[in-house]
Order: sequence, then structure tokens, then C-alpha cells
Amino acid sequence: MNTLELLEPERISTRTNDVVLLPYGLLGFERVKNYSLLAKPAQDPYLWLQMLEEAKHAFLVLPPSAILANYQPDFEYEDVEFLELNETADALILNIVTMRESGPATVNLKGPIVINRRTWIGKQVIPNNAAQYPTRHPLSFS
Amino acid sequence: MLILSRKPGESIVIDGRIIIKIMRLEGEVVKLGIEAPIDIPVHRQEVYDEIQKSNKEALTDSRTKLPRVAPNKTAYPIKGNGNHARPQ
Repeated sequence: MNTLELLEPERISTRTNDVVLLPYGLLGFERVKNYSLLAKPAQDPYLWLQMLEEAKHAFLVLPPSAILANYQPDFEYEDVEFLELNETADALILNIVTMRESGPATVNLKGPIVINRRTWIGKQVIPNNAAQYPTRHPLSFS
Repeated sequence: MLILSRKPGESIVIDGRIIIKIMRLEGEVVKLGIEAPIDIPVHRQEVYDEIQKSNKEALTDSRTKLPRVAPNKTAYPIKGNGNHARPQ
């Protein structure tokens, strides 16, 4: 199983504020492994991935199903194994949003963060089809 | 940078535990096989650099006002045939 169809995100509010373990950290931030996934209901569908170590920075993230109808990252076999994704519903996918002072906010579709909903272990993966996705997909405004 | 010459079928060992093997040449493209312990991630450099840069740009102040997300979803243009066979 390499491609996971995206489902509508389940309500994850019962699991937020839990610790997400990223054993490889994020690319460029490999030393930080422990994060908290925070939801502020007024900001739905945005979530915050908050570092629990070091400088305690936060990343703004978005489930891609909130903005795209057919985002289909093709996960590498090793990543699926590592994360123990036995079925589609196991994967919570979040993409990092970049806010900018000038220009639209953008979301990174090239390197999604994939979290196993059962184990709450995640990884920022580079899918096999990463080349067809940008790191700066503009967010449209309603 | 250490520069070595290898022929297809030959390998390089790093730190006694990372092996890079030249599998074959396909025109201008060199197929490499990499064996590394599971705790050592291996990526193509240009993609790694691009995502790392994007992560660093994304660090933000949690008080930032957030753009409202458009309710109509964009269908993302898909290139390629969606073939999911493992690359050889």
C-alpha cells in the first residue's frame, strides 16, 4: 500500500494536546522530537504543532482535505512501514503553513507530516511523487 | 569533499555502516543503492533542502491572524499516471 486516499479528518479534538513523537524531527529541526498538537476551535481547520523542547516554536498546520479535493502523496514503502500504517484511516496528514508579510499564505504540499492516529508517532515524509507538488501552494481566501 | 571513482557494481562504505553501491548507469543517470541503519534518514539533497527551507520559513508567532480557508476545495492538477509501483 503506497497511496492512502484521504478521508475527511475526524474530529481530533479528543486527541489534541497529546504529545506527538516525531522520531526524526522535522527536516532542518531534527533534534526536536516531541510536539503537542493543539486545536483552538475558533481557528478550525488550522492546528498548531508546538515544540515541547528547545525553543518551543510552533508550526501552523492544516489537514490538506480542508483545502484540496485530491491531494494524493504517494508514501514510500519504508515510511508506511515505519509509521505502521495498516490502513488508510490510520494516517492523519498535516501540511505546514507559512504566513508571510507580503504575499499569500502558502502550504507545503511537498513534505507532509504524517501521524499514525493509533500510536501518535509521526514523520515528515518526502513522498515518491514529491516532484509534482510545491512547497508553496497558495492558500485562497474565502 | 572526498572524490572517488567507482564502476557499476562497486560500493563505498561510510563509518563502517552506511553502504552506497553504484547499481547501474542509465544514460546520464546513476542508479545508487543505499544501505543505512534505520535511524539515519536518506534523501535526495535538492528535495531535502527545499523542504528544510520551507520549514524554517514557516516558524511563526502563534498570535498571527490566520487567513480564512476557502470553503470550496481546489482539485489539485495531477501529473503522471498515479502508478504506485516501487521504484527499482
